[in-house]
Amino acid sequence: MSHAIAIDALSYRAGQHFAIRDLNMRVPNGAIYGFLGPNGSGKTTTIRLLLGMLPPADGSITVLGHDVPSHAHQALARIGYVPERLHLYPMLTVSETMRYHAAFYAHWDVAEAERLRRAFELREEQRVGRLSKGEAGKLMMLLALAVRPELLVLDEPTDGLDPVVRRDVLTALLEYVSARGATVLISSHLVHEQERVCDWIGVLDGGRLVAEMPMHAFRSGIKRLRIVGAPVSSAPTPFGILARRPGAGREEEWVVRDWRDDMASWFRSTDAALREIVDLDLEETFVETLRAARDASGRAA
Amino acid sequence: MFDHIDPRSPTPIYAQIAARVRIAVAAGDLNSGDPLPSVRALAGSLRVNPATVVQAYRELERDGVVEMRQGSGTFVGTLSSDARTQTREHEARRLVRELLEQAARLSICPGELRRAIDTELGASRS
Repeated sequence: MSHAIAIDALSYRAGQHFAIRDLNMRVPNGAIYGFLGPNGSGKTTTIRLLLGMLPPADGSITVLGHDVPSHAHQALARIGYVPERLHLYPMLTVSETMRYHAAFYAHWDVAEAERLRRAFELREEQRVGRLSKGEAGKLMMLLALAVRPELLVLDEPTDGLDPVVRRDVLTALLEYVSARGATVLISSHLVHEQERVCDWIGVLDGGRLVAEMPMHAFRSGIKRLRIVGAPVSSAPTPFGILARRPGAGREEEWVVRDWRDDMASWFRSTDAALREIVDLDLEETFVETLRAARDASGRAA
Repeated sequence: MFDHIDPRSPTPIYAQIAARVRIAVAAGDLNSGDPLPSVRALAGSLRVNPATVVQAYRELERDGVVEMRQGSGTFVGTLSSDARTQTREHEARRLVRELLEQAARLSICPGELRRAIDTELGASRS
């Protein structure tokens, strides 16, 4: 089994319309997979589907080798899950919550849970309902890591937390992954946070996966070019042009994909001068990918 | 030593980490036998993918800068002063190459560049 998560031709209906349509997705074993998408693109729905919490209309889902939803309980025993919203009993204390959670998991690591509780500075007798947002976020990560999961599914685990807490939570996650080699699916719209951490990227838009590839391929293929004297109607190019925008003076800005450095020579065969090749960061790459996908589906429609 | 790792840089993070170690070794901040941080500690503190740290350490091992010892960690290898000089030369030339590439894109000619370097060197000396 080379994929921790394999989704084929998945569809899900919410009422009349498709929330997820013909979704194919592969999360390789050992990857830290950044699941990107704008609000409402279907990230949380996809996560609930792959945890067996929603019934698919069509398609197949395999998680850690188990068919979901039919064998979801076997998969869930090996998954640490941090949901989008806190789902804990507010009247329980931190230590009661930890004991309660431990009862459901055969692999619960008492020592690790205690070490994390101290590292996160959570007080044992504190009631969950009175935790700050940051403390609650830390407790959720603690509960997910202490089950010694082979797969961590994190739905916006750090969104809405302050930078100090985000740092603590991510550090704990990465230390765990270093020690255990677990697979991580991390959904977020905090794109720049994923930039350091993820080695795979999937981009969801309107319930479809519009890109899925290793991070370095995602980042390196798309560039912004500053060009002077660009041809009005462009001859066939060896790279794909996602966008052309006017710049300052005679300059034009092209956003291109499938770029390789040796393609700079193409400009010598034209009257245009390539002034600069700008690397896009993950956020810009994400935005350009979305824009291009939407243009393409607009043309198809 | 690992401050200013920039995930937005076109230079991959693993290459940035490896470069930091090379520079620290060349500058004499790290000596033969000194331990490097564990993969777990460095991935945690930089908040980067552990595979990225492993990739950096593997590259350094391949180049003879460090030794990865099973179970006990990663250590700076035995270095000659030649190796230090070489690394410094290598880094200096890499910086100049970057400068030349950027200058070429802005159509700055070599004469202009040389004058600018002399001016800046003079300014930093005084």
